[in-house]
Amino acid sequence: MASKLALNAAVSELRFVLCQSSPSSAGTREFVSKSYEAIKKANPRLPVLIREAAGAEPSLFVRTAPQGVEKRLSLANLNAADVKKALESLAK
Amino acid sequence: MSVASMSMWCRASCRASSLSLLVGGSTGPLLGGIHNNALVRTLSSSSASAAATPAAAAAVAPEEPPPVEVFVNGESVQVPKGVSVMQACDAAGVDVPRFCYHQRLSIAGNCRMCLVEVTKSPKPVASCAMPIMPGMQIHTETPLVKKAREGVMEFLLANHPLDCPICDQGGECDLQDMSMAYGSDRGRFVEEKRAVEDKNLGPLVKTVMTRCIHCTRCVRFATEVAGVHDLGVTGRGGSAEIGTYLEKALTSEMSGNVIDLCPVGALTSKPYAFTARSWELRPTESVDATDGIGASIRVDARGHEVMRIVPRLNESVNEEWIGDRGRFSYDGLRRQRLDAPYVRGEKGAPLRKATWKDALEAAAHGLRSTPSTKLMAVAGKLADAESICALKDLMAMYDGQNLQVEGVTPSSDAADVRSSYVFNSTLERIEEADAILLVGTDLRKEAPLLNSRLRRSAVYDCVPVASVGPDVDLTYPKKDLGDSAKAIDDLLSGASAFRAVLDGASKPAIIVGAHVLSRPDAYGVLSKCVQLANDVGCVSGDWNGYNVLHECAGRVAALDLGFVPGPKADVATAPGFVYLMNADDEATLASIPEDAFVVYQGHHGDAGAARANVVLPGAAYTEKGATYVNTEGRVQRTKRAVPPPGSAREDWEVVRALSEVAGLALPYDDVDGLRVRMAEVSPTFASVDSVQQSTIWLNGSTYAASKGSSKASTAPFTSSISNYFQADVIGRSSKTMARCVETRGEMYAKTHDVGSTLGELGEPSAHPLGD
Repeated sequence: MASKLALNAAVSELRFVLCQSSPSSAGTREFVSKSYEAIKKANPRLPVLIREAAGAEPSLFVRTAPQGVEKRLSLANLNAADVKKALESLAK
Repeated sequence: MSVASMSMWCRASCRASSLSLLVGGSTGPLLGGIHNNALVRTLSSSSASAAATPAAAAAVAPEEPPPVEVFVNGESVQVPKGVSVMQACDAAGVDVPRFCYHQRLSIAGNCRMCLVEVTKSPKPVASCAMPIMPGMQIHTETPLVKKAREGVMEFLLANHPLDCPICDQGGECDLQDMSMAYGSDRGRFVEEKRAVEDKNLGPLVKTVMTRCIHCTRCVRFATEVAGVHDLGVTGRGGSAEIGTYLEKALTSEMSGNVIDLCPVGALTSKPYAFTARSWELRPTESVDATDGIGASIRVDARGHEVMRIVPRLNESVNEEWIGDRGRFSYDGLRRQRLDAPYVRGEKGAPLRKATWKDALEAAAHGLRSTPSTKLMAVAGKLADAESICALKDLMAMYDGQNLQVEGVTPSSDAADVRSSYVFNSTLERIEEADAILLVGTDLRKEAPLLNSRLRRSAVYDCVPVASVGPDVDLTYPKKDLGDSAKAIDDLLSGASAFRAVLDGASKPAIIVGAHVLSRPDAYGVLSKCVQLANDVGCVSGDWNGYNVLHECAGRVAALDLGFVPGPKADVATAPGFVYLMNADDEATLASIPEDAFVVYQGHHGDAGAARANVVLPGAAYTEKGATYVNTEGRVQRTKRAVPPPGSAREDWEVVRALSEVAGLALPYDDVDGLRVRMAEVSPTFASVDSVQQSTIWLNGSTYAASKGSSKASTAPFTSSISNYFQADVIGRSSKTMARCVETRGEMYAKTHDVGSTLGELGEPSAHPLGD
C-alpha cells in the first residue's frame, strides 16, 4: 500500500480541501482519514495539508516544483477509491 | 443584538428566547457572587451547544424552568425565573440608571441609583439586587422613583468635584450623563467638600480619588475576574476609600479594564491622560494583534495618531476585556518606526535610506541570484495572512522550499492537520471542560483573557487544573505535576494521581503552550500530548479538548497557509537569502549565517531590521486592513485606523511589488484577488469572524508516520513569553511597557529583598538601532 502512494519527487505540496459535513466530501474524508498515514510514510517530507471549512467543495491541489505550479482537481461526490485515483493521476 | 430588539423578540417568543436573554445582550447575571457567575456560565454553555447541534438543544430544553411574566410600566414581559428586576426592565427595553451594577461582576447594590417602585413594596427597591416574583408590577417612571434617584444623585454630587472640563472621563462619563437626567441645577450643599488623596496604582491606571463614588466595580473586578486581591475599601461612611492598603501597583495583566469599568473619572488611563477628548477621536473597530487571542478592540485615533485602544464586546473571544499589552502598547506604534526603505551597501556598512526602487531591486537581486536550495523565508509573530500568502507564493515561484514559522521547530508535518495546532475546544467552550491540564505554558503571560476564563472554571466551578511547566501563580489553585516531559510520561503510565482525574472527566482538556512547539524535541512532547489526549478521551463527539495555545497573532495563519518546509528543503543547509516577514526573534536571527543576504520586512526597527541587508517598511496592525487568525483558528480582519508612517506600505503590496521587480509577478493585483487565493489555499479564510471546526483528528498519525524523533528531552518547560509587557516589537518600543517592566521589577525587588530592580522580568530589551 505504502509504496503505491509514493508520489512524483517534484511534488512539493499536497492539499486536500473538504467540508466537515457535506455528503459530497464524504469520500475525500474517508480517504484522508484512512490513507493520510500511508501517504506520509511514502512521502515523509511532503506537506500534506488537510483543510476543512463548511461548504467547501472537496478538492485536491498539487503543487509541483520548480515553478510552483498548482493543479486542482475537484473531488466532489467521489468515493475514497476514486479520490485515490485522482491523486495518482495528478501527482504520480 | 441590541437590548431593544432583543426584548421585542423576547416578548414574541418568550420560551425560545429566555436562554439567550441572559446571554446575548447587556443583561446579565443576578443573584450575586458565585451563583451569579455559575448561572451565566450554565446558560451560555448550554446556548452554545444548542447552537451547535439540534440534538443538544433538545437535551437541554427540559431543564429550563418556565419563564415568568412580570409587568414593567404596565407592559407584560416574559423573563427567565430568578432574574433581577433590573434585568426584567432591560428585557422590556426600559433603561434603568446604574453605577455599581455590572453584568459580569457580582452584585453590590451600593450605589442606589437603580431604585424602582414595585407594587406592594412600601419603599423603592434597588432593582439590581431584587429578584423578580411572578406577576410583579414594576414602575420606573413614577414621581417617587424620580425623586429617589434625584436624591441619590444629589448625594453623589455633593462630594464630587466640579472638574468635568479637565477630567479625562468628560464626554463619556456615566455620572455626567445621569446628572443631565436626575441632577439639580443648584446645590444645597454648603459644607466643605470631601477630598481624598490620590493613590499610585502603577504606570497604567491614573487615580483621582476625590471623584470616586464608591461603586466598588474596580474592587470586584480585581478580586473576581482578574483574581488579584490588590484593591479594597478602607474606612466607613464618609471616610471610605478605595485603595491598595499599602501603596503598590496593580499586579494583574488585565488591570486596564478597571478604567472602562469605572463609571466616573476616578480611574482613568495614565498614558492617555490629557492627550485627547473623547469627542475628538475617530473610532475604528478592529482586532488586537498583540497576542494569540485576537481580542476585539476599538482603535481611537486623532489625525495620524492612535490615541488609545479600548475593548469591544465579543462574547466568544474577549467578552469585554483586553490585556494590558493590547491596551497600552500603542505608544510603541509611534516610536522606532521604519518609515522608509533601507539598504546596506556592503558588509559592515550601516543601513542607508533608499528609495523603494533601489530597495526592491536590491532585494530582487538577492532573491534571483541565490540558488533555490539556499532560499529561506520566515513568517514572524506579527505577520498578517495576506503577506504570508503572498510570500509563500513568491517563494514557490523560485522553488524556495525552506519556509519557516517563527517559534515552530521546522518540520514539514507541522501544519498538516489543523486540529493538531489550533485551540480546538474554542475559548468559549473551554469553560465546559471539567478537568484541565496545562503543558508548558504560563497563561497569565501568554493569554491573560483565557486565564480569567480558566479562573472562573477553577474557582467557581471547582474544575481541577494541573500544570506541567513553570511554577507560576495563575490566580487560582492548580496542581504542579513537574516541569519536564517526565510528568507527561507519568500521566501516560498512570503513575500520576492526576491521570485518574482526567480519566474521570467527561470533557477533559489539554492546553499545550507555544513553548512546546519551539523546543528541539517538539515532536516527542507533542506526540506524548496527543497520546495522552487520546488515552483520556479528550476527543469524543463534538468535544475536542486538545488545545494548542499560540501567544502571537501571526502563527496560526502561517500554519493554515502551509508555511512549512517542502520536501526539498534542507533545514541544515546554510541559507544564502533570508526573507524575514516581521520576524525579530533572537532564535530566528541566531540561525542565520553571517554571510546570508537578509531582507527584513516589518514596521519596527528592532533586531530583525538591525541584521538586515535590505529593510522594507510595512504597516502595523492599526494601519492596514489585514487578516489575522487567532489561536482558535478564528479568522478576523483589522481595519485601517491611521495611515502607515512615511513611505511604508501595506505588507502584501510590498511582496507583490517585489515579485514584479524580480521578474515573476504574483497573479493578483488587488487585495480581493489575494483573499480569493488565500481561500483557495485554506478555505477557512473564506469565512471571516467565525471558527471553522477541524473535525479530522487522525489520532496523532502525523507523529507516527513522521521520521522525526519521538524522544523528549528532560529540559524543563518554560513559558514562550518571559516578559509579558515586551513580548513583541511594539511592546519593546513602548515607553509605557518599559515603565511597567520597571515597576514590576521594583515590586519584585521589594518583596524578594534583592538588589536587582528588574529581577522578575529581566532587563528591558535594548534597541539595536538606538533610540
